[in-house]
Amino acid sequence: MKSISLYRDNGTWLCSVHPFTKLMYITFAILVPLFIHSLWAYAALIILDIAILISGKILKRSRPLIIFSLTIIVTIFIIKGLFDENNVSKLFSIGPIIFYKEGLMKALRTDAVIINMLLSFAAFVLTTRPSDLTEELEKHGLPPRLCYVITSVFNIIPQMMGTVNTIMDAQKSRGMETEGKLSVRIKAFIPLITPVVSSSLINTRERAIALEVRGFGSRSKRSFVHSWKKHRGDKAITIMLFAAIILSALWRIFIWLS
Amino acid sequence: MKNNIFRTKFDTATIVLIPACIGINFIGKFFAQALKLPLWLDSIGTCIAACLGGPVIGGISGALNNIIYGLVMGDSISIIYALSSLFIGFFVGVMARSGFMQTFPKALITSLVAALAAIVVSTPLNIIFWGGQTGNIWGDAVFAAAQAASIPLWLSSFFDEVIVDVPDKIVTLILVFIIVKSLPEKLTSLYAGSDEIERLDQ
Repeated sequence: MKSISLYRDNGTWLCSVHPFTKLMYITFAILVPLFIHSLWAYAALIILDIAILISGKILKRSRPLIIFSLTIIVTIFIIKGLFDENNVSKLFSIGPIIFYKEGLMKALRTDAVIINMLLSFAAFVLTTRPSDLTEELEKHGLPPRLCYVITSVFNIIPQMMGTVNTIMDAQKSRGMETEGKLSVRIKAFIPLITPVVSSSLINTRERAIALEVRGFGSRSKRSFVHSWKKHRGDKAITIMLFAAIILSALWRIFIWLS
Repeated sequence: MKNNIFRTKFDTATIVLIPACIGINFIGKFFAQALKLPLWLDSIGTCIAACLGGPVIGGISGALNNIIYGLVMGDSISIIYALSSLFIGFFVGVMARSGFMQTFPKALITSLVAALAAIVVSTPLNIIFWGGQTGNIWGDAVFAAAQAASIPLWLSSFFDEVIVDVPDKIVTLILVFIIVKSLPEKLTSLYAGSDEIERLDQ
């Protein structure tokens, strides 16, 4: 079964850093430029993101994450550049199409927010094993039931995708068409999805009984198989990032007051 | 009846329902992409959870769904929309518990409520984060046309969202209606808010 997680252990420091440190970095990367509110802050953060991705040897693997959002990044530029309500000064034109400066600047800002967010999340998503994250969350007080829900999703989706392939083959062999006009494709959707959905819902009943039997509802304190080996930088980095967030917030408040 | 709407069971059966429904959301999205449908269809599971477990379970499934996708599958943008999923799940749950999933016309009303919840919550998010776009080709084409006609940003963004969400939620809720109706009662009774125990020994 193919895992849906993008995590792969490549042995770099980024994989051994505690998940919470990386979550703190995401918070830092999103909040600090928001408080400073300058394009340069975003540029600096994007460079920092890329530097982290390079040193963690995952720059290449984070490319699909960016490409996934490429259409919206590009269309924001086009739509804002052409039609934004504040457009006054002409920047350049391609034939009869005129791009305006105000709209493009606005688009640049929006896109900087998106790219910064995508990159800082990439550093987390590509280097954190989902089960490590849930286990650490559970150790720090997240209810075990909620952690079960999260971990369970990773087991259920590949299982369901297996069922999906079986059903797709079965329906195709009965002559169902999955390509062509929109009406044909909409008609194909129902016989494909209903069997998967019904069977997975019916399975939940058995899964619930199986879990019950194994003490899922137990309220006693749980123990853990793994213990996390702390990276030596974890504490220092977390404190530094947190301090930077507070400082930039104070700076913003200062600007507002003065 | 009114007291019953928000009643939620937090037993093993309901907890197991949540990941299954998050999986269903994923499958819905997968098929929509595989068949190249111009809809998202990524809230089928959330709506099923809401119909079976009530508004609270629906809301939890919706929000967790987006958070998990964001943190694990790299779709970090979806985390922002956890809020809209939460409200879709919540309102579908309220409608279902008030009896609005029992007949087909009533299910259509529920779908409009779900669409409205999605539009009201998502439009401000779209404006704050993407300058008003949704990322769906048809919706964004409408957005571009509306902007070109100098319609205010929030209204263009609203149209963008309506074009995408109304058909999406109608198709989703019709599917949910068909699926939930076909589930065996021994399953649906596990999640129902009212437990009345009949005694047979008296």
